Amino acid sequence: MITTPNLIDLLTANLTPVRRLRPLACACRWLLLAAVVLGLLAVSQGLRPDLLQRLRQVDFVVGLAGMAGTGILSAIAAFMLSLPDRSRLWLLLPAPAFLTWLATIGYQCLTHWISFGPDGFRPDETAKCFATVVLASLPLFLAMLWMLRHAAPLRPTAATLAASLAVAGLTAAALSLFHALDASVMILIWNLGTAALLVGLGSLLGRHMLSRAAG
Amino acid sequence: MPPSGPRARRPLFTLLEGEPACAPEADHGREEGNTSPARDLSWSILMARAQGGDRAAYRRLLEEITPYLRALAASRRIDRVDVEDAVQDILLTLHAIRHTYDPRRPFAPWLVAIANRRLVDRLRRRERSQSHERALTAHETFPADQTKFDDEILDRRQLRAAIARLPFGQQQAVRLLKLEEMSLREAAAASGMSVAALKVAMHRALKNLRKRLARRGGEA
Repeated sequence: MITTPNLIDLLTANLTPVRRLRPLACACRWLLLAAVVLGLLAVSQGLRPDLLQRLRQVDFVVGLAGMAGTGILSAIAAFMLSLPDRSRLWLLLPAPAFLTWLATIGYQCLTHWISFGPDGFRPDETAKCFATVVLASLPLFLAMLWMLRHAAPLRPTAATLAASLAVAGLTAAALSLFHALDASVMILIWNLGTAALLVGLGSLLGRHMLSRAAG
Repeated sequence: MPPSGPRARRPLFTLLEGEPACAPEADHGREEGNTSPARDLSWSILMARAQGGDRAAYRRLLEEITPYLRALAASRRIDRVDVEDAVQDILLTLHAIRHTYDPRRPFAPWLVAIANRRLVDRLRRRERSQSHERALTAHETFPADQTKFDDEILDRRQLRAAIARLPFGQQQAVRLLKLEEMSLREAAAASGMSVAALKVAMHRALKNLRKRLARRGGEA
């Protein structure tokens, strides 16, 4: 086993200058990336035809603000939580926006998985919706996890949860601009499910690797 | 179970004062604002320099925080044999995420948050592994005394006697570096010996002790 003075020698010898992590700048960079990805998706899919009419409805605007607010505030919370000396209470930052979103949530996308027509069963709006959700949220989620990789030995669960909420909020906000059905429930299930899967896998793999190292 | 309640939070700042973390009276009259601001500032400056690539500052910082991390680990029910492992784990984590420190903020909460996280993880791992272990029952142990000579060799009294027979310089090195867990710099300051002389004395002391205890084990 290496001794502590030897380890200090080793760490000192391997010291390289580092650029300080600035949580708000990181959050802004990620939000910019999200704007580009979701903007491209909106261009490829086209805005929904009734958008102007929907924007005059209060419940739609409140819901949209809740989604976007959840996304932006969760992104800030995720980067704050990734720093060791910041309070765990940052996790509550997106709570008001998230509650607003939950109050206006819709579940249409979960009810139209397949349709039966003259040519038999075929994937319906839900399947297309799911594909769009995955396409929009996966790159954002992966980018966020990569940017938060330093949080792995500190607060992996809280940071992953905030990250998944950030992706869910922004994806839902973007989808509501070019998708006729409200996909909020599907987006939340997909993103929080992915987060739970990642945290569970991380815990299992961590244990597995530790037992291998010990053996 | 991770430690919880006031005891889990306390060592943070008492440790930074250089007091034993396990002293119950350390709770009284100590609050965040009462930490040694000069020491925190000095560590903060050293860390800021280390972030810029200053190796001397980084070495000094790591050597200065190591005794505090040892005391913190010991106060968190970490086994004595695991304390050094825990300290090294914390130092490695600190190195990996040194870019997350903001020099405009105090250094102590950043350091102790990392240390606490690593120590809690270590305690959880230990509890998980212990939950799969069973204590050996009496009929599974070896009945013959000859099988227990390892314990006899490591008998505390014998070890103390062996240390007492070492030359003075070597005795002092063992006492300061191993029993009082000082860093080389601290031990050098306390003894008036140079760091190089301390290293040599420690090396010779270990060699002598190994020889003497092995001889004793052979006699047994």
